[in-house]
Amino acid sequence: MSPEVRAVEDALAKAGYVPDAAIATALFLATSLRKPLLIEGEAGVGKTEIAKALARLLDTELIRLQCYEGLDASTALYEWNYPRQLLHARIFEGRGEDPARTEAAIFSREYLLERPLLRAITRSREPVLLVDEVDRADDGFEAFLLEVLSDFQVTIPELGTIRAEHVPFVVLTSNRTREIGDALRRRCLYLYLEHPDLEREVRILRERVPEASGALAVEVGRFMQAARRRRLGKPPGVAETLDWAQALVRLGRAHLDAEVVAATLGCILKDPRDLRDLGGAELDEMVTQALEAPP
Amino acid sequence: MIADLTLDVALLAGAMRHGGIGVGLADEVDAVRAASLVPGGDREELRLVLRSALKVRRQDWERFDAILEAYLARRPASSRPRRSRGGPGRTPGPEGEPVGAGVAPGGAGRAGLGDPGYSPVALLRQESPRPCPGEDLAAMERLLARFARRLAARRSRRLVPTRGGGRPDPRRSLRRALGSGGELVSLARRVRALEEPRLLFLCDTSGSMDAHVRFVLALVLALRRVAPSTEVFAFNTSLVRLTPLLLGGGLAATLRRVAAAVPDWSGGTRIGDCLSEFAREHLRGRADRRTVLVILSDGLDRGDPALLADAMRAIRERVRRVVWLNPLLADPRYTPTARGMEAALPFVDSFLPAHDLASLERLLPQLAA
Repeated sequence: MSPEVRAVEDALAKAGYVPDAAIATALFLATSLRKPLLIEGEAGVGKTEIAKALARLLDTELIRLQCYEGLDASTALYEWNYPRQLLHARIFEGRGEDPARTEAAIFSREYLLERPLLRAITRSREPVLLVDEVDRADDGFEAFLLEVLSDFQVTIPELGTIRAEHVPFVVLTSNRTREIGDALRRRCLYLYLEHPDLEREVRILRERVPEASGALAVEVGRFMQAARRRRLGKPPGVAETLDWAQALVRLGRAHLDAEVVAATLGCILKDPRDLRDLGGAELDEMVTQALEAPP
Repeated sequence: MIADLTLDVALLAGAMRHGGIGVGLADEVDAVRAASLVPGGDREELRLVLRSALKVRRQDWERFDAILEAYLARRPASSRPRRSRGGPGRTPGPEGEPVGAGVAPGGAGRAGLGDPGYSPVALLRQESPRPCPGEDLAAMERLLARFARRLAARRSRRLVPTRGGGRPDPRRSLRRALGSGGELVSLARRVRALEEPRLLFLCDTSGSMDAHVRFVLALVLALRRVAPSTEVFAFNTSLVRLTPLLLGGGLAATLRRVAAAVPDWSGGTRIGDCLSEFAREHLRGRADRRTVLVILSDGLDRGDPALLADAMRAIRERVRRVVWLNPLLADPRYTPTARGMEAALPFVDSFLPAHDLASLERLLPQLAA
């Protein structure tokens, strides 16, 4: 591993995120080349967490834009403060101001409400801009986002063009419920996150649930790895691992056993069919295997 | 030796395109810039760097790794260093052989990997023309025009201005109020936009289905005027995405392109394998809860029915409606007892014939958004 990438890996670990080589490499490239990073992967593998870790690592503000169907420029970019504008328009009118001057006054910066995208380019220090679940927005918004990410400038008809003083670090995440357009993909660097391997999952458990005993962390890790190897409808992610470990700690367990696993299985399996498929003898066997030391 | 790194990346990208992984020029530029940042990196690091910069999707990782390995193996070792074009020489990194930049392949390797910018599209155009069904097309388009309005009848969450009723639109209302001295005389309003239907067709192109596929492809071409995002896949023994081939040209040209791109056109069928591949690779990205998915097949599967049932379950859970068009249904004596058809049927919402315009009339209402 190059020393530069190693440095990013160490800094991430210090910021409380347990990285692997692919994550450290992608973040190193994204920050060095100043390109947006598109992160794809199953739900719960820790995509959003990377942006948060990056903000901690750079010691800068995290600005988050949560995407959803129907998201439009007024929610993502800016909105005028209409009640205030209306109020002042009437006051100016009452004073007999010239209409043109009234208009110029109420369409000035102080009546502008900054939404995440505009806020990200007007900060005095470059923030981390997280565009979360970009696949949920519609294609039209994607095109609009592409424009903002290309030029880092925003044109407001009444005000003119606002240029970024500092280009933000941009992280986009996608659950792939919809294929992201090629144009946007090309604009970014790319990272596909997979579920962590056993070693990394245990490290994450130790970092995030330090109350769990060492043995419990390893057993939970082994069980999760085995669960993901089954053909489940909704394979559990790291978020589920952490929830489950916390639940087990709360129940005062230092080890897994068949009874407590059956009782808490809802922490990691959230699909009725998965819960049904993974029961009885098979579950007992998975617990036994998780308890055994690796060969 | 940036010039050589550029050539390396260009040749690798050519090999990737040849292997069916899409890479654009912008990706190549990213790759050159990224690789030059870690000149001392080892193979593993180079792989990670290129995967990120060339935006290699998860499903292409194995193929990409193989192509990269083959490329690095083919490239002669430092025995034939290339002269840089005026740039300063680069010293090997601490890990030994500099793989991030440097040596260009020899003539043999280069010929095998194809030239930079090589595209397989040109090859597809040289296939022989095939007959096409043109006569019903005019009638089909008239029918479609009638149904177009009904096809697009669902409303999205996105708001668009309207003259009639709807939710208040503060921005436009304020604009109006300024004209009357800040007095809100009338509110501007907006409503949820009309949504385009999302359609996805899976066409069985095995021998028994040949004529019907042409008919349905003609339908798809017409439908794309109403629903431009319509996706089409062909399957027989393997699965091919046809959507990129539908752009431009008339029906005849499109059919020629399609026939050339689909391997084993008019051969046998492995429905289960193909639908599994579809469910694995494309279902998440190209279908959602709004999608109406249409399968055209006679259900005569040579594979394992359990595999087909699994794939159909995954598809059914993902999309809004599954329509199965089976030309055999035109025969009143037909019963769906073929093993494949029997396995798939529990996951099908509408089971319809597809052999003439009358059956098309029954299909269209099923496709509405």
